[in-house]
Amino acid sequence: MGHHFTIKKPWYFLIPVLIVGSILALLLIATLRLEKNVEAKIVEISTSDVFSIAQNNATYIHTLLKESTHYVNDIRQNPALQKQIEKSLRTLLTPNIKYAYLLYKDAKGVFRFLSDASNSEEQAFVDQKFDIDSPQWLEIYTTKKPLLLHHTLLHQLSMSYLIPIMYENDVTLILAIDFSIQKVETINQLITTMQYSIIVVMVVIGLSILFSIIQAVRFKAVRKTAFTDKLTNVYNRNYLQKYEDFINLNDYIIATLDIDYFKKVNDSYGHDIGDKILKQVAHIILLIIRNHDDIAIRYGGEEFLILVKTNRNDHLNSLNVVERIFLAIQDHRFYISNDEYINITVSIGVNLVPNKSRTFKEAFKLADIALYNAKNKGRNTIELYDENENIAHTHFSLNDIKEAIEEKRIQCYYQKIVDTQTRELARYEALLRIVDKHHMMVTPDQILPTIKGTFILRNITKEVLSLCREQLLLNSNIMINVNLNPQDIIDDSILSILKTYALHDNIASRLGLEITETEEISNKNDAKKNLLMLKSLGYKIFIDDFGSGYSNFIYLAEIQTDYIKIDGTIIQKILDDKISFLLVKNIVAFAKEARIQVIAEYVSNEAIYEKIKSLGIEYSQGFLFSIPCDSTNIFTCKDI
Amino acid sequence: MKKYLLLLTLLSYSVAETYTFLVKPYHKEIELEAKIISEIAHASLGTEVKLFIPNISEIEKEVYAAHFTLSQTCEASNFVFVNKTVEHESLCGTSNRLFFTNNYRKLLSDKTYYGALFWNKSRPNIVFIQKRLEANRITLPQAFAPFVENF
Repeated sequence: MGHHFTIKKPWYFLIPVLIVGSILALLLIATLRLEKNVEAKIVEISTSDVFSIAQNNATYIHTLLKESTHYVNDIRQNPALQKQIEKSLRTLLTPNIKYAYLLYKDAKGVFRFLSDASNSEEQAFVDQKFDIDSPQWLEIYTTKKPLLLHHTLLHQLSMSYLIPIMYENDVTLILAIDFSIQKVETINQLITTMQYSIIVVMVVIGLSILFSIIQAVRFKAVRKTAFTDKLTNVYNRNYLQKYEDFINLNDYIIATLDIDYFKKVNDSYGHDIGDKILKQVAHIILLIIRNHDDIAIRYGGEEFLILVKTNRNDHLNSLNVVERIFLAIQDHRFYISNDEYINITVSIGVNLVPNKSRTFKEAFKLADIALYNAKNKGRNTIELYDENENIAHTHFSLNDIKEAIEEKRIQCYYQKIVDTQTRELARYEALLRIVDKHHMMVTPDQILPTIKGTFILRNITKEVLSLCREQLLLNSNIMINVNLNPQDIIDDSILSILKTYALHDNIASRLGLEITETEEISNKNDAKKNLLMLKSLGYKIFIDDFGSGYSNFIYLAEIQTDYIKIDGTIIQKILDDKISFLLVKNIVAFAKEARIQVIAEYVSNEAIYEKIKSLGIEYSQGFLFSIPCDSTNIFTCKDI
Repeated sequence: MKKYLLLLTLLSYSVAETYTFLVKPYHKEIELEAKIISEIAHASLGTEVKLFIPNISEIEKEVYAAHFTLSQTCEASNFVFVNKTVEHESLCGTSNRLFFTNNYRKLLSDKTYYGALFWNKSRPNIVFIQKRLEANRITLPQAFAPFVENF
């Protein structure tokens, strides 16, 4: 994609100008021809009647001479006949017909008058010589048909119309009428007006076309600016919104890319460095994707969407593009100062089969699920969307989830949290499950991306709370932790339910509230206030996944949390990764000082358990102690 | 911009004659007439023509001067072209000079004139009378033959 919109090749403008010019030139030629045709037509229309009348006049003279054997002599010698002919010719005179006269050609080839309709001052005598103005006159003796002559040199006459009067198949007399210039001037005025109108219309059309071209070019430039992310120079979300319906899902694979721990980079080095890294990541993407084929879009803070052109039968090449982006970012040194650099990794989710989705949104969602899986698997990886693995999800639209709620197919599985020292049951964590229409169990990671940010999530929380309440009322000696989403803490309906549970059912002390700490919740005073209120009702607050994302120690103190659950991905690495071990050790030390109890998640083997135990972590949870079991097996669920 | 407009205006005036007769009086017909008279006079006299036109206008002076040596008086001329109504007495004698008119009727009625150039049906017509040509011992080139009338 272009980074700037300067005119690199100005002849691109010349081409449309030349096209417009050529069209106008063709129009002009066509117009000139049209004008000629129109002029001829107007002349024909305006003179045809006159020609007919003149023809009638010639026929009349011919009739007068029907007894004659020598027309010229008979007219010369017969003044009465001369008068009749002159009278007949006079009927032809109008403001447009200036002269009407009868001629003959003598033996020397000189034209002479026989009769003239002009007034006495201008009237020619019989036998007076008449100098013809053009040799065209002589054509009438060969064609023997009426002849129209156009005058270009005479100032007062525009046309002459000659009608032959025959005697024994020879042209003996010529009846001539001369049109004044007035008629042609009127016609010319008409033509000129038409000409000007056409020229004006053409100029207007030409200017309009030119203006439209300029506007189109400008609009394209402005639109391109509106669709470009200013920071990274890749397309922005507007572009996606505008064109998502036009993307042919057969032509692309969809990759969603997220910069790992980008928030930490921003927090550690500042937003300027964060922006610089975003720019460099985008630059790497733009360098690797194929111009004119692939499309890069920044659709979130540190999230990019890459549409890689593909062949339906061979995704390897397009997948290779994604992999090269992944490796190039991994290998790149992102300088935070002149001599210091950091390495950045990305998680990428790829949907190889967008054509199996009905809409782009659906296809994009599947790539997003793959990205979600990539993050869950510890980040810095490319995850392909697996149709089989996510089959339940693919069938779980928002409507499906709504149906599942209505049909009571929401379930809770329960996993033990044990006392680390004694391995005795301390409490359970309730885990959301949905049974699909095929009786398959669907886990939250397959549902949450779909319902994130929708009211369905809140409804599911209500269902889960209701199920936990049932269990607590059924078994008075157990304690259960339930997971709440950050939005639940500020939702009045959820808070109202929790108040009811505390005041009427008296189960607050046995229902732990697990909340994932996020920046979103930390910055909301309402959330803090509500958490303190819930504590005052007797609920215990558990901060979930502590150490993985947004971990704010001040906040822990502010909300006076009772427990923190160290994120499972840290616990998993505690034996091999010194940083993870030191992180856990320090969290535990801080918690002891702050009188907060600690729970370790993902305790999956004895070695981890021993380490946890040695660090003095009070509670443990993981497959070492139990798998999540449904409510009917809550007590009989066997330890692994 | 002002200089450009001024230059454009001056240029327009300098070539105005070719496309308009608003700047100068229109004299295309006079031009044509002068050329024909020049042909006739030179063919008739065979020497330098000293033309006299009674009551000559300024425009005629300007146009005819390009083709002839104009004579201030009838007496000093050898070719007189009468193209306006003038009293016959105001003209000088016919010896040593030729008289030409622009009026066909005058040509027919007045033997002073040996020929006429006149406008007939808006077309220029030339007529010479054979006898008068002979009387004036004028032999015209063959090209003038169609214009000679033998009354």
